[in-house]
Amino acid sequence: MHSAVSAKKPTAPATRSIRRVLIANRGEIAVRIARACRELGIESVAVYSAADAGAPHVRAADRSVLIGPALASQSYLRGDHLIEVAKQLEADAIHPGYGFLSEREWFARAVREAGLIWIGPPAEAIAAMGSKTAARTLAIAAGTPVVPGTTEALRDATQAAELAAQFGYPVLLKAAAGGGGKGMRVVRAPAEIAGALESAKREAQNAFGDDAVYIEKYIEGPRHVEIQILADAHGTCVAVGERECSIQRRHQKMIEEAPSVAVSPELRKRMGDAAVAAAKAAGYVNAGTCEFLLDAHGDFYFLEMNTRIQVEHPVTELVTGLDLVQWQLRIAAGEQLPFTQAPEPRGWAIECRITSEDPAHGFLPSTGRITALHLPSGPGIRWDGGIEVGTTVGLSYDPMLAKLIVHAPTREAAIARMRHALQELVIEGVETSCEFHLRMMDDPEYQRGAVDIQWLEAKLPALLGAPAPEETVRAAAVGAVLLAERDRQGRARQVGNGGAKGAARSAAADAPGAASSEERGWARLAREESLRRR
Amino acid sequence: MRYVVTVAGREMEVVVDESGMTVDGVRVAAHLEGDHQTAAGTGVGAILTIDGRQHRLVARPGDGGRGSYDLQLDGRRLAVEALDERTRAIRAHAKAAAPTGAAPVVAPMPGLIVRVGVAVGDQVEAGQAVLVMEAMKMENELRAPGAGTVKAILVQPGVAVERGAVLVTFEAES
Repeated sequence: MHSAVSAKKPTAPATRSIRRVLIANRGEIAVRIARACRELGIESVAVYSAADAGAPHVRAADRSVLIGPALASQSYLRGDHLIEVAKQLEADAIHPGYGFLSEREWFARAVREAGLIWIGPPAEAIAAMGSKTAARTLAIAAGTPVVPGTTEALRDATQAAELAAQFGYPVLLKAAAGGGGKGMRVVRAPAEIAGALESAKREAQNAFGDDAVYIEKYIEGPRHVEIQILADAHGTCVAVGERECSIQRRHQKMIEEAPSVAVSPELRKRMGDAAVAAAKAAGYVNAGTCEFLLDAHGDFYFLEMNTRIQVEHPVTELVTGLDLVQWQLRIAAGEQLPFTQAPEPRGWAIECRITSEDPAHGFLPSTGRITALHLPSGPGIRWDGGIEVGTTVGLSYDPMLAKLIVHAPTREAAIARMRHALQELVIEGVETSCEFHLRMMDDPEYQRGAVDIQWLEAKLPALLGAPAPEETVRAAAVGAVLLAERDRQGRARQVGNGGAKGAARSAAADAPGAASSEERGWARLAREESLRRR
Repeated sequence: MRYVVTVAGREMEVVVDESGMTVDGVRVAAHLEGDHQTAAGTGVGAILTIDGRQHRLVARPGDGGRGSYDLQLDGRRLAVEALDERTRAIRAHAKAAAPTGAAPVVAPMPGLIVRVGVAVGDQVEAGQAVLVMEAMKMENELRAPGAGTVKAILVQPGVAVERGAVLVTFEAES
């Protein structure tokens, strides 16, 4: 498969028409894109908000430009300004990453009209697939199976209740412009539908500036399996395998794998064909992903197409040997795909999303400054990160700090590898999801792959409530006592020396203050003691 | 020195003297190496060795003052309190003297109040959702830390609050 990719190289330089790329994003994906550019000999321009000055993605690029204050709507979401900056810096292409402006048709169009190359699908394909409602209509026309539901935004709660009764409860309310679980609600009884619709609309309005919400039958117990496709501008469209993304909390993916335990080579072929059919119907070019629900009988239903690079693209890269971000650049530069069929997946890859959320407290967002960072390393371990020591994690952006990805010959070996990688990983300064992931790797049901998209929600209380192993608890008690002893001796030393200052002073022989500084040490300790008692 | 250690809802007695350490009466050989406090740009932890077996340890001071530590041990996070007898007695005394009252609901992060689900005078149970706040574009439910009666609601929907702001107070159930 590696030779297939490089076979094209000797002919016309793939990246001739792209010399400098503006990366309209931040965090780990901006770092990832800058690296891909560098490997292809392309210059990269980072943009950053005032909150991201000196951030890893800024330093990963060849040039950087401050584009506004922390608020995304005044920085990363200002498409007109980003195009201006791209032209000023003589960039010839814009890579949008994921999130932010990546799936905005108007932005893709504006980039093109400004004479720049858009590293993504044509604006028309985003329009066809960007809205879930439009994507459904298109999929139905292309003969791809879909979940029963409406293709038009709901008018009001009365209409929602009528349709829900028709499909049968439970039903799912979904933001038409949505993604990432925002503006989604499961409704299990008629009494809940009005309130759920209201809050879904509000969340959709806040997140996307569009409160259109539609309704569909909620299929219980399915897996979320998605197909990565690559399409060039010359008519070649290839499915490059599936990703299993069923480990979700509040419709947010937490852990992704490639391949899926539920997908046989035969099913992979059928799902791949369905994804390619849908992509072709949309006139799709570049990297994209068709999301499906896969039920226990092997029936699958098209959900939507993500018209961008996905967060979880590394697992596909690891099992196929393809560099998807480089292929985004090469396809945008007009290169032809040198293969018409993807290889069968080699080995197993797992990705854990490391977020600044505290699993011990309901995954509440945690903020702070990264004070220490130790990254796991060794064979088959990949870290796609957007943090370093000194990075301030605030509330302005998505809580995802990094992705930890492993690759191993088998799923069992990949789980073992992820387990030790998580144990090596140290992030100090903010609470993170690391322990959640470690508990997942230890879970017997997860180890068997016996999961669906509702599994985690049901499992979470038991998963997070389970006590740490006895050996760990005892070790913690011993460790704490050794720390307390060390602190106690440290305080005693401080008293003896009169503290660090006193020590420095008494080091100067015959210093007149030496004796009195010792007294001050005692006095300070006494004062501290009395304060603590109050 | 005799310590009472509280960890994961359990209490253990750990005694340290010249001859070594016992945990709940069982002798263990334990020592700690390396920098145990991480600071900006330094240290990724210490090695804690217990009966010859090594554990990776990162420690930082906990919220409870002296003797309180937040540990990361073998990938797990554990809040531990190790109090010597004297400190423990002082704490117990201070606690007894302090006025009792139910803990309020406090904003765990800066954000926007979306909904308040209770009214003054409502009876709430421990863990009951009291209000919804939005941060990082996600709605988060905040729950009552204990059972009680709502005494005051200090915020309303649409109000932005800072981390640590007191949102709802309670009278403890008598």
